[in-house]
Amino acid sequence: MGRDIAVLVKASLNPEIVRQVSEGIYDIDYTPLKISDVDRNALEEAARLKGILGGKVYSITVLTWGPSKARDKDLKLAVQEALAKVADEAYVVVDDNVIPGDPIVTSNAIVGVLKSKGLKPTLILAGEASVDESTSQVPGRVAAKLGYSYVGYVRRVLEVREGSVVVERDVEEYVETLEAPLPAVLSVTQEINEPRPPTLIQIRMASRKPLYTLKLSDIGLDVKPKRLIRDMRVITVFRKQVLVEEASMEKAVEKLLEYLEREGVLRV
Amino acid sequence: MKALVISQRPSDAGELVALAKGFGEPVILAFQESASKVDEVAAYGCRVYRVRSDRPEALYKAAFSLYESLNPKIIVGPSTKNVKDATALLAGSLDIPMVTEVVELSDGGSVLTYKRGFMSERVTMKAEVPYPVIALVNPKIVEPAEKAGRGEVIDLNVGELKVNIVGVRAKELSGVKLEEAEVVIGVGRGFKSKEDLKLAFELAKILNAQVGGTRPIAADLKWLPEDAWIGISGKKITPKLYIAVGVSGAPQHMSGVSGSKVIVAVNKDKSAPIFKQADYGVVADLYKFLPILTSKLREKFPGRA
Ligand SMILES: Cc1cc2nc3c(=O)[nH]c(=O)nc-3n(C[C@H](O)[C@H](O)[C@H](O)COP(=O)(O)OP(=O)(O)OC[C@H]3O[C@@H](n4cnc5c(N)ncnc54)[C@H](O)[C@@H]3O)c2cc1C
Ligand SMILES: Nc1ncnc2c1ncn2[C@@H]1O[C@H](COP(=O)(O)O)[C@@H](O)[C@H]1O
Repeated sequence: MGRDIAVLVKASLNPEIVRQVSEGIYDIDYTPLKISDVDRNALEEAARLKGILGGKVYSITVLTWGPSKARDKDLKLAVQEALAKVADEAYVVVDDNVIPGDPIVTSNAIVGVLKSKGLKPTLILAGEASVDESTSQVPGRVAAKLGYSYVGYVRRVLEVREGSVVVERDVEEYVETLEAPLPAVLSVTQEINEPRPPTLIQIRMASRKPLYTLKLSDIGLDVKPKRLIRDMRVITVFRKQVLVEEASMEKAVEKLLEYLEREGVLRV
Repeated sequence: MKALVISQRPSDAGELVALAKGFGEPVILAFQESASKVDEVAAYGCRVYRVRSDRPEALYKAAFSLYESLNPKIIVGPSTKNVKDATALLAGSLDIPMVTEVVELSDGGSVLTYKRGFMSERVTMKAEVPYPVIALVNPKIVEPAEKAGRGEVIDLNVGELKVNIVGVRAKELSGVKLEEAEVVIGVGRGFKSKEDLKLAFELAKILNAQVGGTRPIAADLKWLPEDAWIGISGKKITPKLYIAVGVSGAPQHMSGVSGSKVIVAVNKDKSAPIFKQADYGVVADLYKFLPILTSKLREKFPGRA
């Protein structure tokens, strides 16, 4: 059985920074990229499981949003975090021909990296959903292409056995315990662990680890995105944003109650 | 041309059949609850293939074999975890587009045109993808189809599965319908212990409110039942009044409360993002503010508690 772990790390658009260009049109160029939140949980889990499996850890990232020149700094920061946290090496696919990417390009590129570099991880860890697209499909696609077993929404990895992994999977009304044969792809939820930021020493070490930047042609791939984005609009809900700031709590309460009385929402 | 409908619950079948009709002749694949209550699903008059399982892998294998034999233009289904996990495998092995949480869809000739949330639902995206395509939709985006006779039911056998089930545990649920409440108090990590939530419950009593919370409060800390978390991966609420207490205002939480008429935020950090997304923001320590708010309301509504 192999002992390596691959972690899928997305440099997502940061949903906390949403601005309009004009009349509701979303300003995608203004939004910086950051590591997708749940991928931090995947990295933390990889750090724990590396201690059990003892193999190498590599991170794989496919740049989805461009132009690549403008995204270079953010992308590096996300990948550096993976390297600092746990990865021994990082693979990054950057190709302006497939930007903006879609899940078809992304999953093919991830599989292309593994195949062309001869990497055979026994576990592939991913997040349950990216914070920009939230489609929860890239991990399943990768599993199908590789013929790995797949479990999505993993809340706990209970045990790694010789040839299988035992996990808890979160479904809407229940939690299942499952045994999946290795090699496997797991997408993890936020609840799986509490990600700790990398330490200063880890951050310093990260710059010495190998980072491979690849184009689609380097991994022998010729795919095109199939999605055509027509329109992106900021959802604007008007909120009054009245601030109540009082040294006296009594006064603050009175003010709030006055406002709510005026809104007619207290006597329901 | 066929349109394959994946039904997980009898309650989703009517809407999905209605949607599928816009693209082709609906054929249903009944899974999980819809497989055990197949008569309710067959009542729409379409042929029903049944896979008696609740495993995504079984649904994947069944959908794959139906895809090969029926050649559908579109596969529609609900945006649930089991269906997403199954169709992600299908989309990957066929390399076809898959879109989820779709709120609008229409036939654009050689492409599917659709609308869905983006950026943790702060932005809407309109896009198109070529057929064949998998489209998982949100509930209640169309009126359900009329029932029409009884369709034929055919059982599918999917053979051995790779992933084995060891056990299932029901989640602790409150059964409270936050979606229907007129007033909701939302609790966040500003509360320091489960016991302290009684401050929110006391306020709720006076306001005839229900108590919900952020995902970490319910799913991580388990201070509230698992059906009481509000947001992109939890409940969407539309109360007259939403009072968020000790909640920072992350986009994944706020997307669940955007339909509220009035939003109040109580947070001790003046720079908390929630203040930009609230009608009334109170900069205060919840431990000092809530007891006084509750006691003032008690004076105002002496009959209530
Ligand atoms: C894919 C994905 C899906 C998600 N889905 C959801 C979802 O559906 N719902 C959801 O809620 N979250 C969801 N999240 C998590 C979300 O990103 C946030 O992490 C979460 O909402 C934060 O919860 P919180 O506001 O309780 O905690 P925090 O962000 O920690 O905020 C606590 C707040 O309490 C304030 N505070 C502290 N002490 C006091 C005090 N004494 N008095 C007053 N205020 C105080 C602090 O100033 C702070 O603003 C999701 C995340 C991801 C990545
Ligand atoms: N462009 C990408 N590069 C690397 N990993 C990705 C990429 N997109 C998605 N993933 C992985 O797939 C998970 C789910 O993303 P999504 O399918 O977009 O919701 C993410 O949390 C990542 O682990």
